[in-house]
Amino acid sequence: MNNNFITMKKILPIFILSLTILSCTKTQFEDRVKNTGSIDVSNYVSVGNSLTQGFQDNGLYAETQAWSYPALIAQQMKLANPNMPDFKQPMAIGNGSGYMHLEFIDNEITPIRPDDPTYGGPYREDPTWPDWQDYVKGPKYNNLGIAGIQLRNAIGLDNNQRIYNHVFLDGISTLNIQGNPYARFLDWGDSPLLFGTPKEYVDHMRESNATFFTNWLGNNDVLGYATSGGDEGEFTIPFVGTFKASELTPVAEFRQKYDSVLSALTVNGAKGVCATIPDVTSIPLFNTVTLESLGKDIWIYENDGSTKRLAEEGDLILLTALTEIEDNGKGTENDPLPHTLVLDKAEAKRAQDHTILLNNEIKGLAAKYGVPVVDTYEILKTFESGMKMSGIDLNIKYVEGGLFSLDGVHPNPKGYAIVANEFIKVINQSYGANIPLIDITRYRSVIFPN
Amino acid sequence: MRKIFTVGILTAFSFELLAGGFQINQQSHKATGMGGAFTGLCIDASSIFYNPGGLYKLKGHQFTGGFTLIDPHVSLQTDANDNIDQTTGNATPFHFYYSGQFINEKLRIGFGVNNQFGSSSSFDDDWEGRFIVQNIGLQTFMFQPTVSYAILDEKLSIGAGFVYTAGNFHYEKGVPLASKDNEYGKATLSGSGNAMGFNVGVFSTPYKLEKEDYVFSVSVGLDYRHKLKMDLDNGNVDFTDIPSSLRDKFPESTGFTSSLTLPAVASGGIALTYEKPEKIKVDLLYDLTRTFWSSYDTLAFDFENADTPDSKTPKNWEDVFVHRIGLNITYKEFISVRGGIYMDQSPIPDGRVSPELPDNSHTGYTAGIGVNITDNISVDLSYLRSAFERPNASLTTEGFTASYRRIVNVYGIGINVKFGENKTTEAPSIE
Repeated sequence: MNNNFITMKKILPIFILSLTILSCTKTQFEDRVKNTGSIDVSNYVSVGNSLTQGFQDNGLYAETQAWSYPALIAQQMKLANPNMPDFKQPMAIGNGSGYMHLEFIDNEITPIRPDDPTYGGPYREDPTWPDWQDYVKGPKYNNLGIAGIQLRNAIGLDNNQRIYNHVFLDGISTLNIQGNPYARFLDWGDSPLLFGTPKEYVDHMRESNATFFTNWLGNNDVLGYATSGGDEGEFTIPFVGTFKASELTPVAEFRQKYDSVLSALTVNGAKGVCATIPDVTSIPLFNTVTLESLGKDIWIYENDGSTKRLAEEGDLILLTALTEIEDNGKGTENDPLPHTLVLDKAEAKRAQDHTILLNNEIKGLAAKYGVPVVDTYEILKTFESGMKMSGIDLNIKYVEGGLFSLDGVHPNPKGYAIVANEFIKVINQSYGANIPLIDITRYRSVIFPN
Repeated sequence: MRKIFTVGILTAFSFELLAGGFQINQQSHKATGMGGAFTGLCIDASSIFYNPGGLYKLKGHQFTGGFTLIDPHVSLQTDANDNIDQTTGNATPFHFYYSGQFINEKLRIGFGVNNQFGSSSSFDDDWEGRFIVQNIGLQTFMFQPTVSYAILDEKLSIGAGFVYTAGNFHYEKGVPLASKDNEYGKATLSGSGNAMGFNVGVFSTPYKLEKEDYVFSVSVGLDYRHKLKMDLDNGNVDFTDIPSSLRDKFPESTGFTSSLTLPAVASGGIALTYEKPEKIKVDLLYDLTRTFWSSYDTLAFDFENADTPDSKTPKNWEDVFVHRIGLNITYKEFISVRGGIYMDQSPIPDGRVSPELPDNSHTGYTAGIGVNITDNISVDLSYLRSAFERPNASLTTEGFTASYRRIVNVYGIGINVKFGENKTTEAPSIE
């Protein structure tokens, strides 16, 4: 027995020693090398509309503006280059313009507008909002996104256009005409209506000294038409002329202006990324109120409102028409829905066709300037039939779809994070960069009521 | 300005329960040391599990019991995160077998208890895949009364066991619904169920060469363990931190039914044994195992609450082969040194790799020693190591892609006790 135990005493330590050597358990991955490739991020400038400004829930407010897609891109760039300066945005204060939220009323989840007398309270316009310009005007911003702006407002091709753009952006204080409230963080120069020299959006781009840019302009050149139910929004400026605020921007004009924008942004040799216009008819604003969801026939005014007929499959009733239908009894033969609340079949087709034409221009001009394109048109299409990301169901449905905010047009924080990732993927691919993608699970979708 | 609007039905939640080979193969520490090849060899009572046909070889009354410590290490890398570690703790499955000789030389009656399937995985609370899985665990206990009979003595013996299984699982994941108070909600599922099956085996030593100073023999064995369909009729799910406006769909608590199929396993093994009595004994083993994972095709949860969307997840796993090779060298009937290797095919096709139990085809290595402390008591130690990487593996149903690294160290200790062997032995010397 003794011998046996001696043998065992010899073998056991060897066995245990070899276990210790073998049993290394390091599985951790090393941190990947991060860099911004061939781009210079010392002055990243973003231009665009409400999507770029960080607008959502039909408002601009501090909480979510901080998560605008350009801010998110910059946040990730900073991980790759910690020396990158802070990305400056003209921040709304508190509730900013006020924003929509959901309430649980009579067992129904109900979107509430900020001016709702009963429930709007905590979400209504911030007291600072009327004088927001006093807080934000002056400094140079990285995010130049302006809610509501169309590409064609970026530059005037003649004096009338310059007058119109200036009125749209800055208003005419002497005539008490309000400008675009979301454009107040920039100086627009003097009104050409009063023979002054205006400062145009392209001037801001040129003077931004961008070293890198993202440009997602063009959506409103179609969306404005679509959200007006195909109404071209004619209005008159006294002594100047009649303008169409929401007509589809003609292709030739779009081409010329997009060229000017890219020329201004690249004046110092900046590299950048452009993005296409998504199919505006894929957004919840147009797909939520349907004949099926209403469960009844709806009468509508077609075209400019001259003819009435029964709505049929393919006519897109705006989300905003719901109040008119449910509360005000519209949509009957005697009281059809006004044409501004319906993008009828023919108008929808026009908007869709026009989007494709404008996207061809975007792609062509971007190629001319050697700028890669984020094809948001194709990306939104992939969500139409629904998909999952990190275990989260995402589709284009209103509220429950997880991508759009309560206005049915703009993404929610998670949607913006997904947009930012798409930009980062293109930057990485085109400029040899290695900017980490965003963990989209860290950003919420809509907030459901308690 | 109030707008009446009804939110439609939220998309069904899928539950990715146990998407990984969750078979526990360490059912004897002799076998584990030898790559798990044990169908063609019968040297202790663990043959109750590996091949009840071979119990004829065990004389008298024999007991084998053991503990296993499974120490898994899993890391992930995603597009957004450089490194994520599972926080999974160790698992400690056990086994116990008894084989007894009754009535005559040819009959054995035995019993076995073990954990044949199981797994547990957990992650930090805020990890990227929390809407797929946060924590998950499955435990199964198998109880197997067994009868074995040597029809033609060494030439042919058979055995069969009735298998009763009791299992339980828990599963926790995030529910991506935000409210003012909570960034997201949580679903915690738990359930238990049982199943019945059987384990049958055939054993034969068709060739035996007995010379003056050595014996050489060839043994073969076949074993089939039937699938175990566990019905989970009494499942319960708790939804916490859910916005109260969605309580219709995600109540505080509701029941569910589901079922889980533990796959059938068929093995064939061969053992070549060379023995110089009282000097040295060498066993060379080969096993081929087929695990019928394709029976695990769909996992469905049917919730009691009518508004909670039912869930059905296609698994589409594949049947797999495992090759096992083992070697045992026993010196002077006292100490045994063992080594083994196994080549494991993953049942999980591309596009079905889930973060809680990533798997990949890999080769594992095993080692073991056994010591006969007395003629009646012996101890076995075993060690198994499996390590693999699986780059850019997706779980397409959840939209999740990661690169995986997994290292598992498995340590085992077993003890064997026997008495009543009908064999002349010297009394153990006590000094």
